Amino acid sequence: MRRPLIGLTAYAQQVQYGNNDLMAGMLPMTYVRAVHATGGRAVLITPDDPGTDVLESLDGIMFAGGDDVDPAHWGAERHPATEVDAARDASELQLMRAALEMDLPVLGVCRGMQVMAVVAGGSLHQHLPDLVGHANHQAKSGTDPLAADAASYGRHDVVIEPGSAAHDLLGSRLTVNSFHHQSVDDPGSFTATGWCPDDRVVEIIEDPGHSYALGVQWHPERTTDLRVFAALVEAAARRAGIGSYERIAA
Amino acid sequence: MRPLIGITTYVEPASWLVWQDLPTAFIPQAYVEAVTQAGGRAVLLPPDDLDADVLRVLDGLILSGGADLDPGLYGEAPGPLTVSRPERDSAEMLLARSALEADLPVLGVCRGMQVLAVAAGGTLHQHLPDVLGHEKHRPAPGVYGEHEARFTPGSRIAGLMGDDLRIHCYHHQGVAEAGTLTVTGRTEDGLIEAVENAAHRFVLGVQWHPEVVRDRRLFGALVQAAS
Repeated sequence: MRRPLIGLTAYAQQVQYGNNDLMAGMLPMTYVRAVHATGGRAVLITPDDPGTDVLESLDGIMFAGGDDVDPAHWGAERHPATEVDAARDASELQLMRAALEMDLPVLGVCRGMQVMAVVAGGSLHQHLPDLVGHANHQAKSGTDPLAADAASYGRHDVVIEPGSAAHDLLGSRLTVNSFHHQSVDDPGSFTATGWCPDDRVVEIIEDPGHSYALGVQWHPERTTDLRVFAALVEAAARRAGIGSYERIAA
Repeated sequence: MRPLIGITTYVEPASWLVWQDLPTAFIPQAYVEAVTQAGGRAVLLPPDDLDADVLRVLDGLILSGGADLDPGLYGEAPGPLTVSRPERDSAEMLLARSALEADLPVLGVCRGMQVLAVAAGGTLHQHLPDVLGHEKHRPAPGVYGEHEARFTPGSRIAGLMGDDLRIHCYHHQGVAEAGTLTVTGRTEDGLIEAVENAAHRFVLGVQWHPEVVRDRRLFGALVQAAS
């Protein structure tokens, strides 16, 4: 039985390793390992303007975290703290649009959730500290806010709307890690179903009209709680007609 | 729909912007650009050795450059300067063997050519300066060695390269025995620079780095074979 093939959007980014400094198509292995740990096979989709034809080969797709979406895409002026990734915007906005249109199972993580909202006609807050008066959603890079000995900085709860798909998947409340300075303001045609209880920042969006279209503002791939990845892989398997993943209706 | 070309990736601790030393799957963007410019659609294949099912959706495969192969794969003990990546080795040997079995078009670049040679039953030189007595294939860190290659008349690589025989090399290991592959190119010092297998639709390995110049001759031929 083959594994569902899950595309992961990747960066085109200047990286350093050893003594090398190069422009690379790349993605942290945490995303790859999350897909493999939940039964999928990951391939990376580098930013590529010419089209969305790659979606024909995939069973599901995850949009990864990264830099900010250019506010021009929802008709706003750029905030001084906004740092856009134009190459990924160009590629991911069209991939997201096409993936939703063909009802490919979609998971959006952090920036990926924001891309979802923008494609759905929504908008973002460009710099959360301006809105909520604190920077608790932006943990220091390289830290693990969920580690036993970590300070609460970059860690907070999410409360989830009863009756939502996210609630079926994650229950009514969980604690998450947080690495962002932007957030969803208007989810467009998506529905917000999870929030940070301290400041009402949107943490989950979904669209029940799709087989699986879920966005989360935190980084599950950096934790041991991979339920949103497992659900993506399962939806991808169902779409691909891969039998062992079929759930028997009660 | 463009031909879908899978490219194997490196996995190394990498740093970018504020992030430091995170285990990262990556490939020099030059490979991706070379595929895109040749009319293909690249997807990157992080190492995974559970199965080679991903080949089902691919029209062509690029085995990319990188660290040394584990000499255990060709029955030798590692030399003092050999540095390997077991995770890539097992994943790429599986992909290479499965791609050959499925007769999928394959281009092996540098380490990728060495993967092809070992999958074909060949062996490698673990440190070329010990064998050749010079460092012209990797003159200094980050510096490509420029050579003029000699190709077997009538071979695929001779036909693709035409009159411009300049190549850019960056490696300290090389193919010693090409196994069931045919050697079709060498540098002036006799080192194997190109291997192919005419029994397959498209199996080509080159020891140099054609992606550096987005060489349309080679990447175009792969994409065409994959179409």
